[in-house]
Amino acid sequence: MSAITVTRLSKSFGAVRAVDDLSFTVGPGTITAFLGPNGAGKTTTLRMILGLVTPDSGSAAIGGGPYRDLVDPVAAVGAVLEAAAFHPGLTARAHLEILRTAAGLAPERVDHVLDQVDLTGAADRRAGGFSLGMRQRLALATALLGDPAVLILDEPANGLDPAGAHWLRGFLRAYALQGRTVLVSTHVLAEIQQIADHVIIISDGRAVFTGPLAPGSDLEELYLEATR
Amino acid sequence: MNRLIHAELVKARASRTVRVLAVLAPLTCMLWAGLGVALLGLEGRMPAEDRIRNVYAMAQQAYLFTLLLGILGTAGEFRHQTITWRFLVTPDRGRVVSAKLAAYGIVGLAVAAVSAAATVAAGALLLHLGGHPVTAPGVPAALLGAVLAVTGYGLLGVGLGALIRNQTAAVAVALIWFMYADYLLTMLLPGLGRWLPTGAARALAGMSMENAELLPAWAGGPLFAAYVLAAVLAARLTTLRRDVT
Ligand SMILES: Nc1ncnc2c1ncn2[C@@H]1O[C@H](COP(=O)(O)OP(=O)(O)O)[C@@H](O)[C@H]1O
Ligand SMILES: [Mg+2]
Repeated sequence: MSAITVTRLSKSFGAVRAVDDLSFTVGPGTITAFLGPNGAGKTTTLRMILGLVTPDSGSAAIGGGPYRDLVDPVAAVGAVLEAAAFHPGLTARAHLEILRTAAGLAPERVDHVLDQVDLTGAADRRAGGFSLGMRQRLALATALLGDPAVLILDEPANGLDPAGAHWLRGFLRAYALQGRTVLVSTHVLAEIQQIADHVIIISDGRAVFTGPLAPGSDLEELYLEATR
Repeated sequence: MNRLIHAELVKARASRTVRVLAVLAPLTCMLWAGLGVALLGLEGRMPAEDRIRNVYAMAQQAYLFTLLLGILGTAGEFRHQTITWRFLVTPDRGRVVSAKLAAYGIVGLAVAAVSAAATVAAGALLLHLGGHPVTAPGVPAALLGAVLAVTGYGLLGVGLGALIRNQTAAVAVALIWFMYADYLLTMLLPGLGRWLPTGAARALAGMSMENAELLPAWAGGPLFAAYVLAAVLAARLTTLRRDVT
């Protein structure tokens, strides 16, 4: 069974057809790169999978059903969305503590995820003063709170320093090796090429390539060819 | 549900804005009570007993702060886009708003009670110093009514914040409406005043309103609750269903 199934998904914003009859599946235990030019519809697709945006037609299933029907959403899916935001006046720890409480998770989870993303030193600083890279780390920590089986990441490498990007790569690889699933949208092809097993490329809301990424193949060439 | 309410309370406790508003509410009430005592000396048609009761009824003036707390607690989530995280953890959006109603009911009640206590302390002290009688009939009822009304405004704030979503717009609408528009409408159409939220809250608080015959207190409460429910229901049918992008 696939971890994520997108079936004939469409969504328009006014006259803009953001996602157009898009279908794909993401296999469990894989890292799938979700690629496409700016405005291709990646973020809209991910938000529809997560129940935040209602599709005009089609459906998205995660772990067998729609996100809204998940019994324990944080254990099933962790998500980092584009430009993840925080209340500027709250500390990283307070932000995590609020969501941990809402999700009914054990208190130790907060320190654990802070440690996982290497943010323990900044835990008691207000998120308003965080750099883009620190915000990405905090967003990832939030996604990891429920120790989820599936991670959905929207341009997570944005703003990460080279060491951070290197760390993220290792983290995702280890994550998938535990049999978990990662769907990640990114523009950094050289980075994702090193860890992805599958590729989905969309353009103007439509899939233009889906398939495995053979070791040694050139992702950039594949991407440029598919989106031309 | 309990853990969602608890999460809201954790958030309220962590927020500087909440602390500031919670401190300003009783201070404002004390100022109003002081003003009430200062004006006691002036000639007026109102019997002295009513004027003494009105000093304590200034506990009502905390309403702006609980209203703001409710609005910021909901619309603030949209403003800072933290609503995305909330809906990811709890995809049932109605439950998120219900938890906020419960939590800001608790926060509002606490602020209302502290404000009432501060009003009593300041009022009694100043009345005593001014050589006036310190109490009058109907004071406990006025205080209880004020606590209920101030708590109710917190709930109304949650409903308005969810319905309007834009924090600045919600605050502006609420301030204009509850500080001016209701009074203006009541002046223009005296028969209407008792049916407006301010009229209902004042009836609940056992206060009088210029130019308007108010409903009895037992009817003011349910009418005010109906306004809260209407705002929440409207939000569930419209804004809460919208895409979160
Ligand atoms: N809330 C919105 N309102 C109007 N248009 C939107 C909205 N969100 C996305 N779009 C449009 O939908 C298209 C796809 O956007 P998006 O999903 O963000 O693409 P990507 O993430 O691939 O860059 C773009 O043309 C974008 O302008
Ligand atoms: Mg995007």
